[in-house]
This record gives sequence, structure tokens and C-alpha cells, in this order.
Amino acid sequence: MTVINQSVEGFRSISPAEFFYRNRQMAGFGNSTQSVYSTLRELVENSLDACEDAQCIPKIRITIDSLPSDVLSIRVADNGTGLPYQQVPEAFGRVLYGSKYDQKQKRGTFGLGVTMAILYGQITADSPVFIHTQNSSGPGRIYSLLIDVEKNLPIIENEREKSRSKDGTTVAITLRGDLKRAKERVVEYIRLTTIASPHAVIEFGFDGESTEVVGGWSHKVPDAPVSSKPHPRVADLELLRRMMARSPSTKIHDFLVDSFQQVGTRTATRFLKFVGIDPGLRIESLTRADITSLSLSLRRFDGFGPPDSRCLSPIGEEAFLLSVESLFSNSWMQYSKRSPSEWQGHPFFVEGIIAVGNEFPKGDTPTLYRFANRVPLLYDASDDILTKSVKRLNWKHYGISVPMPVALFIHFGSTKVPYRAAGKQSLAHMKEIETDVTGLIRSLGRSLRKFACRKEQSKRDARKMQEFSEMFKIVTKYGPALAEVEPPSSTTHMVRSLFEVNTDV
Amino acid sequence: MSEQKPVDTLKAIGLRITEAITEGRFPVVDLPNRGTDNIEFDAELNQFVLGESKVKRDSSNLKHIRSFAQLTWVAYFAKQLLDSNRTSSLRDLYYSSEAFEVRFNDQGESDRIITDLECLTGQPREAFGIYPEEHSSVFGSVKMNYTVPGYEGREVDLTLSPDGLPIGRALMTAEPAETDAKMILAVESGGMFSRLIETKAWKRFRAILVQLGGQPPRSTRTLMRKLHEAFDLPVFLFTDGDPWGMHIAQVVKSGSANAAHISGLTIPNAKWIGVTPADIREYSLPSEPMSSVDLKRLDELARDIRYTGHIWQKHIAEFRSLRRKAEQQAFSRYGTDFVVETYLPDKLE
Repeated sequence: MTVINQSVEGFRSISPAEFFYRNRQMAGFGNSTQSVYSTLRELVENSLDACEDAQCIPKIRITIDSLPSDVLSIRVADNGTGLPYQQVPEAFGRVLYGSKYDQKQKRGTFGLGVTMAILYGQITADSPVFIHTQNSSGPGRIYSLLIDVEKNLPIIENEREKSRSKDGTTVAITLRGDLKRAKERVVEYIRLTTIASPHAVIEFGFDGESTEVVGGWSHKVPDAPVSSKPHPRVADLELLRRMMARSPSTKIHDFLVDSFQQVGTRTATRFLKFVGIDPGLRIESLTRADITSLSLSLRRFDGFGPPDSRCLSPIGEEAFLLSVESLFSNSWMQYSKRSPSEWQGHPFFVEGIIAVGNEFPKGDTPTLYRFANRVPLLYDASDDILTKSVKRLNWKHYGISVPMPVALFIHFGSTKVPYRAAGKQSLAHMKEIETDVTGLIRSLGRSLRKFACRKEQSKRDARKMQEFSEMFKIVTKYGPALAEVEPPSSTTHMVRSLFEVNTDV
Repeated sequence: MSEQKPVDTLKAIGLRITEAITEGRFPVVDLPNRGTDNIEFDAELNQFVLGESKVKRDSSNLKHIRSFAQLTWVAYFAKQLLDSNRTSSLRDLYYSSEAFEVRFNDQGESDRIITDLECLTGQPREAFGIYPEEHSSVFGSVKMNYTVPGYEGREVDLTLSPDGLPIGRALMTAEPAETDAKMILAVESGGMFSRLIETKAWKRFRAILVQLGGQPPRSTRTLMRKLHEAFDLPVFLFTDGDPWGMHIAQVVKSGSANAAHISGLTIPNAKWIGVTPADIREYSLPSEPMSSVDLKRLDELARDIRYTGHIWQKHIAEFRSLRRKAEQQAFSRYGTDFVVETYLPDKLE
């Protein structure tokens, strides 16, 4: 090692903060419009997660104001639990701080996203982040922070006690951006956020203009997902080493039972027999080869049950339909879901709605609205596995014979979302996910086909009734004329009762 | 045939329809089934008649409503004709329908609906003042009295025009008064009809000449039958020498399947004089080979119940062995007057 260091002149390590700044497009900060969107998104996701922890109806207030020389101030306030004061600087001021391996469905993964936004603001607008938070432990505190990019450490500019009217957190970031250009995306993001979190109420306003409120479609706080231990199939070499480092003196058998879900004493014994490692062996005495072989075997062994799905949080039929209906006026919609499944040990589900309504653009394939862990995805649609699965289907077979105003809302939820990049905009291709997504889309497609058939049928029936009615009018006109008597009063009720069965579709 | 006056029959239909609608029911009419399985040959009448089977036309049925509406309108149209003393051709009726916003796909459809009305009322369309477009003609030493409005009691002499008189509503309904004719001679083609007038053959044979012009319209058949009955005159039929010509004669004799619902049109005693297959041979007439369609028609006729008689089967057999056919005009080969001078005398004596 020393040899290499000496021989490569000018080579030095960079901090994660610097790395991400240099590759900021990966994290969704490639241009100023996207940066506004990504910043807002990180803040809103954290707020919604905080409210979920508090099990309260999220009331989030967003204000974006233009400042001189193309600089914007983005401010997001929530009514969540507030943050533990001593952790605020680290949580906001250090890239990859929150390295929790928490096995439950969450929107954000505290760590990269918000820190990236702060970093972006610091560099483009030379401005610190302001964080005002208050938790149940006492009067609130306000911080202004900067990040030391090279050292990857927070710099506390200012910190003092300041009470807040209620518990919760307000974060304000100032960065370079163009509100006019970003506005449309921002509003779309806010609206779609209330589809994925139908209970959330979001108030937003731009440049001091009057604010608008969306959401609150459902009044029920969704059940909080249950945290669970990781599934053994999740354990790659890195994770396994870290977990082992926490309890070096534990016997391998007990370590497996304590650390993973779906592993009881019997399963642990069977598994170790499969690997060929003595169950009584202590962690510290395992060789590197042992650990490598363990990691491989954990993924290969077929004796583990499927991962626990209680750590997932689907929107659910009622709430999902309610929110879609609240935002779009539909003439018809149908919900469908797949039972939970797993990709490489991570439990996941897909659920979706197919809707027909005049607000959607007419097309040969449905317009797709993507959601992952209750977060709407707005960018990089073309690479996404959801998009590809929708495009791959021949929608002519599913009732779209002529361009129709159809939309698909698909929600993917997992303890881990396989994003293609740190910008968290599109889902990577995983065979297991693809299978379930395709299954879901097909089932929604079949509903659409039935709907289209019924609609076609009722159109035909209406036409038949119209034709019948015209013909019967001739009978009611010339019959009496032939008899030289007055025509009977209206006969529409007769015609209607004749067609009642058919038109009530 | 109904004893009612046509106008009352129509009115009664209108009343039945109106009554049903007033009571909130969809009107239904019963029509004799005109399907081939319900057409029988009545040996006694020597004509086709409809059997007992009926079909319902139900206005609540999506498949029936169109023809029900058309039938109602045709009945109304017929009554308007009678009320205003007008007549109409089948074609005229078809075009009139547009003004009443009643749709027919083609004249064939409106013609069928008129046939429905005949079935429903048991009366021929002529009773409602509806006639086919084409007119056949009549010529001969007969006096008749018109009964049509405006001409009541006026006498008409059927030798009035050297072209013959067209047979329309007026002649069909006229009453035969007197004649010195001894026979009725009906010919298929207009050419032959003219020749028999020009050569004064009608005088020589003392014949009332009728031009059939293919399958004759019912008004022509009605008039022939009326003259046949009123003066007790024999009827002779002179057509082309092929299966089609032979069948024209047969329909005049025994009636057609198409008009099985109408009675009073047939002349069972009428006689087909030719051109028979034997004539083609005996007179060495210029002839053409029969087409496959002709031969197929022969096969059909051979199985037809109207052709069970020995004479008919003999004609068919001779046609089949001859495999040739000849038109009436074929006689021209022997000069223009051969028919009058030789052939007809041979046949009519």
C-alpha cells in the first residue's frame, strides 16, 4: 500500500461530499430546474416520513421565493416529530450520514439526498441551510449549517434556541434556480405526491402570491410499516461483515438467529449444515473464506421463508382510488394489486390503477404515472422498468383499438427500491419485479378490455334503441293515421322499458 | 279473400295497432308464412296456395320493428291512395317513402313489404291502387265499360289503338260488355303481338291478343281471366321455345309461388301451343344450344308439382334430348307471314 502511495504523485482521496458534488447529475442535480425539483423532493419526503413516525396527518407548507440574481429560497415546514437536536448537524451536514439498515418502506433515505441539496445551495448561492426544529423534549432550536466539502463534515454557522408554535421541522435552502421554469414540474410533483400519500395536506405558494392547498383526500393515517430485521438473502459480503463486527464473540448459530428474519434455531442449524460450518463457532474465529462462503450460501440456500411484508406500506385500494379520483375526473377506474413478493431478499409489492377520463391525453398506450415508496417519479421515464413494461404490451389486445384517454398509476413499494441512479428517478430492471409489474399491468389491461367491451356494447345498445325508437315512431304515427284516430300520448316510456335491461350497464 | 272493402281492411289494421299502443303493448300482426315449406299446390284450384302456418311480426322485436314500421306506412300509403282515388306504381311507392322518412334499402324491399300487406289483408295490391311499372297490352274486338272514377260507364273498344291498349288499373277493373272473338291468344314478345295486329291475324282467328312481355303482371292475368270467364273463351299461350317460355305459360295456367297468397289469378284451362320442342324439330326452326342454366331450369321444372302431367313431362324430356331452344322470332326464317299463314292455323285448329 505504501508503495503505491509513493509512486502515484498527486493522487489523493476525495470525500463522499466532493465525489457527489463532482457527479451531481447522478444525484439529480444536473441542471437548475431539476435541482429545484430534487431539493423540494428531498425535503418533502423527509417531512412525510417524519409525520409517519409521528402517526399524524402531515400538514406541509412549501414556499418558494425568487431572490435577486437567479437565486431561489425553498422552504418546507412540517408537523412531524422534530429532530433530536444533537443529531441535526451530522444528519444534514454530512454525506451518507444516516447509514441505518432499517428494513421498512420509507420515502427518503436520510443521508445523501438532503445533504446534496444543501451542498448544491452552498456552492451555487453561497448560502447556508437553515433548520428550525422542535421535538417533545423541549423548546426548539434553529441552526444554520454549511458543509466542509473536503472533510465531509458539518460547519455550524449559528445555533440557538428558538421555540416553534408546534413540534416539527422547517428547512430552508437557498440555491440557484429559475422558478418560472421549474414551477410546472414542482406543482406536478406536489399534486402527484398527494396521490401516493392521500392523507397528506400540502399548502404551497410562490413569490408571496396566495397559497394553494392540495391533498387531504383521505383522513386516515396509514398504518405505520413494521421495522424488521434484514432477510438473509439481502446479506452481501459488506453488510455481513458490518453486522458481524457488532458482536464478535457471538456463536455463528445465534448470530444468524438474532440478526435475520425467517431464521429460527432449526433453520439456522439446517443452514449451517448446508454451508458446512460448525454452529458453535464464534464470529471472531471465522476466516475470510468462511465469511465469503456464508454470504454466498445465504443467498443460495432455499430453506428461508419469504421476507416479511409487514414492513411494506401500500396505498391500498380505497385510498388510492380516492386520491386519483380527487385529482382527475375519471369516467372509469379499476384498482389491482399483486401479493407481496421479493427481489434478492427485499420484499416488494406493486399496486396500480387504470383510469379512463378526458383529462388524460389520448393515446395508443396509457399515460403512465410512476410511484415508488409513495413518491412520484417525474424524470428518466424512458429507462424505467415500469415504462418499458407498459410499452411492451400490445394495448390493442386490451381494448385500446383507437386512441383513448387512459392512464395507469403504478405504485412500487419495497424496503429497498432498485433505483438506476442516486437521483432516484427510475427503477432498474430486476427480473422478479418485471414479472410482477407485467402481471399487474395485464390484469389492469384485462379490466380495461372488459370496460371497453361494455362501453362498446352500451354504445351499440344506445344506437339500437335510437334506431328502434325512430322506427317505432313511424308505427305510432301512421298506425293511428291509418285508423283515423288521434295518436297516443308519448310512447318513450314503452321504448325505454323495452331497453332497460341493456342500457343499465 | 276478405269480404271487407279494402279501405275498411286497412283502417282495421290501423285500429288494432293503435289499440295496442294505447294499452301500452307493442302491436303484433300475424302474417301467413310465405316460406317455401308453407306453399302447397292445391290440385283442386290447380294453383299454389299458402298453408296454415303463420308468422308473428312483433314490433317489440328488434329484428321486426323495421319491417313492422314499413308495413304500417305502406298500409297508410295505400289508404291515402284509396281515399284520394289515386294509383301508384311499385316504383313510385318506393320513391315516395323518402318524403315520409321511411327507409327502404331498395325497391325489392318495398315490393316485399307490399306483398306482406297483401298477405295481411288477403287482397291483391291492385285492390289498393298499387300497380307494377311495366304494362302489357291487349288488342281485340271487345267492348268494355270502365268503372274507374271519372270514367264510370264509359265504353272502350279494345281495337281503339293499332298499338294495343296498355293494361292498367282502368282496364283491369273494367266490366266486359260484348265481343265477337272466339279465343284469347296471349303471346310472349311485343314483336309477335305487333305482327299479329298488322297482319290482321286477330281477325282471321277472331282472337283477343294479349302481350305478356315475359312473366305477365297480375293485372294482365286478372284481365285475361275476367275475359275468359265472362265470354267463356279458350285461352292459348304462345311463348318462346325454352324452359322460361314454357314456364310463363305454366304460371298463367296454375299460378306462381310468389303470388300463392293471392287467389283469382289462374286460368287452369289455358293451353300452351308452343313453341314446343317438337315444333323446333318439325318446322326445322333456327335454334341455339341450351346453356347450363337452361338445363338446370329444366331439372327444376321436372321436379315441380305443376309439371306432373304427362304432356308436360313429355315436353321436358324432348327439350332435354334436343338440348336446343328457339325464340318466337325464329319463324322469320320462312318469311314474315309464316306464323300467321301456317304455324298458328296448324296449332289453333
